[in-house]
Amino acid sequence: MSHFLLLRFRRIYTVSVGCHATGEDRCTSVAIRMDVDYRPTGMINCDVQLCVGCRMCEVACSVAHFGAVSPALSRIRVAKLEGIGIDLAIACVGCAEKPCLQCAVDALSVGPSGQIVLEAEVCIGCEDCVIRCPIGAVGFYEGEPLFCDLCDGAPSCVDVCPTGALVNAAELAPSLAPFMELSGPSARRRADYTSTVSQPVRDSWLAGWRLGE
Amino acid sequence: MTLYQGTRLRVDLTSREVARERTQPNGIGARSWNSATLLEELAPGVEPLSPDNILCIGVGPLTGSELIASCRFIASAKSPLTGFLGDSGARGFFAPELRWSGHDQLVFTGASDRWVYLFIDDDKVEIRDASHLAGLDITETTLQLHDDLGDPDLQVAAIGPAGENLVRYAIISCNLARAAGRTGMGAVMGSKRLKAIVVRGSKPVRPADPERFKRACADFRANIENHREFESRRKYGTTRIMDSLAKFGVLPAFHYRTALFDELDKVKAEALRRDHVVKAKSCYNCNVYCSRYNLTRYSEGEGPEYEAQAGFTVKCGSSDMELGVAASNAVNRLGLDCISTAEIIAWLMECRAEGIIADSDVDGIDLSWGSREALLELPEKIARREGIGDLLAGGSKRAAQAFGSSAEALTAEVKGLELFSADPRGIKGYGLMNAVNSRGGDHYRGEPTIELTGDEALAIKRVGDPNAAHRLKEEGKGALVNYAEHLGILSDSVTLCKNISCCMDAFDFDLAGEAYSALLGQEISAQQLWDVCTEVGQIERDFNIREGLTPQDDTLPLRFLDKPIPDGPAKGTTIDINRLVRDYYKEKGWEA
Repeated sequence: MSHFLLLRFRRIYTVSVGCHATGEDRCTSVAIRMDVDYRPTGMINCDVQLCVGCRMCEVACSVAHFGAVSPALSRIRVAKLEGIGIDLAIACVGCAEKPCLQCAVDALSVGPSGQIVLEAEVCIGCEDCVIRCPIGAVGFYEGEPLFCDLCDGAPSCVDVCPTGALVNAAELAPSLAPFMELSGPSARRRADYTSTVSQPVRDSWLAGWRLGE
Repeated sequence: MTLYQGTRLRVDLTSREVARERTQPNGIGARSWNSATLLEELAPGVEPLSPDNILCIGVGPLTGSELIASCRFIASAKSPLTGFLGDSGARGFFAPELRWSGHDQLVFTGASDRWVYLFIDDDKVEIRDASHLAGLDITETTLQLHDDLGDPDLQVAAIGPAGENLVRYAIISCNLARAAGRTGMGAVMGSKRLKAIVVRGSKPVRPADPERFKRACADFRANIENHREFESRRKYGTTRIMDSLAKFGVLPAFHYRTALFDELDKVKAEALRRDHVVKAKSCYNCNVYCSRYNLTRYSEGEGPEYEAQAGFTVKCGSSDMELGVAASNAVNRLGLDCISTAEIIAWLMECRAEGIIADSDVDGIDLSWGSREALLELPEKIARREGIGDLLAGGSKRAAQAFGSSAEALTAEVKGLELFSADPRGIKGYGLMNAVNSRGGDHYRGEPTIELTGDEALAIKRVGDPNAAHRLKEEGKGALVNYAEHLGILSDSVTLCKNISCCMDAFDFDLAGEAYSALLGQEISAQQLWDVCTEVGQIERDFNIREGLTPQDDTLPLRFLDKPIPDGPAKGTTIDINRLVRDYYKEKGWEA
């Protein structure tokens, strides 16, 4: 089991991720109350230390479902915090809160492995679920939301991942409570989520360095 | 005959008009169109940094597909450094995004009267004000644009202060550290006052025959994963080559004065990995993920690859890895070509050691071997054209003229483009490649790596001559370089990473034929692709001849021709460049 699964926070956690290379807080800055037991895992889980940001998972997902390549077709997306060298692949984590289920037309339900199931003929394409997902893990293409469906039990992203960063941990349903206030476009929310959950890894890198000497 | 006709976006920065048109019908992607566009549309003798120059950014039909590492864009224009055809590719994620936006080639003409950036969001194209970005380095520019536009997934190709200030070896960079580095394409972009290109794309790349395309992709992937260098490339990337070059006796230590470097252990791949690398990084869709992210006390960033690693240490007589990594990070941010910058600093250090240049000639900067001051301050000065930086921004050939003939005799450039970090005398295929290729002093046109392997069977398969597999033999090198150039043009049109397609010999014309045929749904044979590459090579040669190139330009710096390698494993080795060039011309069917 990766060390990422062992991370726990139970405190008020303020994250300010900057680029120490520029000396400025240009990347992102998020203050989040991490006062619940939070484990960043469930469904498809990505180890932030192992993720190299190659986006092979996006390609595989896109090809598996649509027979073509475009990130807009992918149910997993890689957030890249380029100024600090962090990459993290994000798909639906099957969170405990499931804010996406507050669907106006009841087009969404939970499947046997915890995945969100869409009734396409009921969906009106309002994008409400896309906006509600705090970590930007719901895609949207040609009028329809895209949820990770675990590829019927053999996720193509996990299969293709060259570093082993991706694992299928469908049995877990983590809480995303600390992230419910994240706002902005999906890509922004993915980046903000990533900057928080990658902080321990960043800290471990920086521990060996006293910058600016 | 129509092979693939892509969508071209023509952007006139003077009139701010944008038009969509088709590319040439007989190309196969990126470089194949760019070079033809420049030959067709550019008037002879154009001043490279004037609005009359044309900047092409090309991707191809296979870019952003399932094919491993189909990740490069090619930037082409008349080079402000060489005066000949300039082009350079960058890996990363910008090229696939451009492809997904539905564009195969961008052609920039004219020049804006103030700083602008181009914004592409699928079909929407806008020229936007970039006055707030002027003066920012490449990292700052990219992150500022992500902030401004509220989307950190946007792909940005930008220039830094070096490009803005028309440094003749300025780069265009995406993903902060993936550079189109050679021949000064960033300066051309700067001369047009185009600070960045920002792209968001969502259009799928869909093969006409999915099963056949999948098979071609799987074959390519298998070639990579079964390669004997696969694991070491994963672990060290290009930095792994330093050991081999030391063993071959072709290290450029102290600016080619010796092939021996006592403190190699301090600067080689293992030391870099142990002391500075915190994780691996990857370009688009690559299972080799050979790049690495570094931390130093000065800065952090992606890289360095072999050229920056060796250029800022061994070549400059420094065993300080951290300083070398910091210099690499700095040139990436400032937007300078690491190869040209390192070569120029090392050359200055040799001139100082020879008593030709004094510290007082370079604003009092300490130019002793390995000088921390020189490695940290000269890139800044060059990028901003401050003090001596203004002269050095012209490249070593122009700068040397100011210091006189003994300084000129020590430069290592061909056609004005600075040489890589190896001694061409002891690797004769590379020596020939540096002498004859269209860019000038450059090893990456195509990589004659077969000569480093000793693999005679592979040499016979590719060029029909076992001699080509031996780096010290002069036989068979014309054919080898011709093959390597063809594979280079193919890779620059498929837009593959050449470390994989060329250096690992993991891709060839048969596989390319399969990939193109399956993607496009029309049969394209290996022979057709070979012929297109021959034609592109000839177009580039014609362009350069039109700009005044003569056979006398196809040579190596005199310093490598009039004496042998002084010491080390290849001691006494000389190179007969005339014989090699004759052999190559014969292969090409050219007159000497």
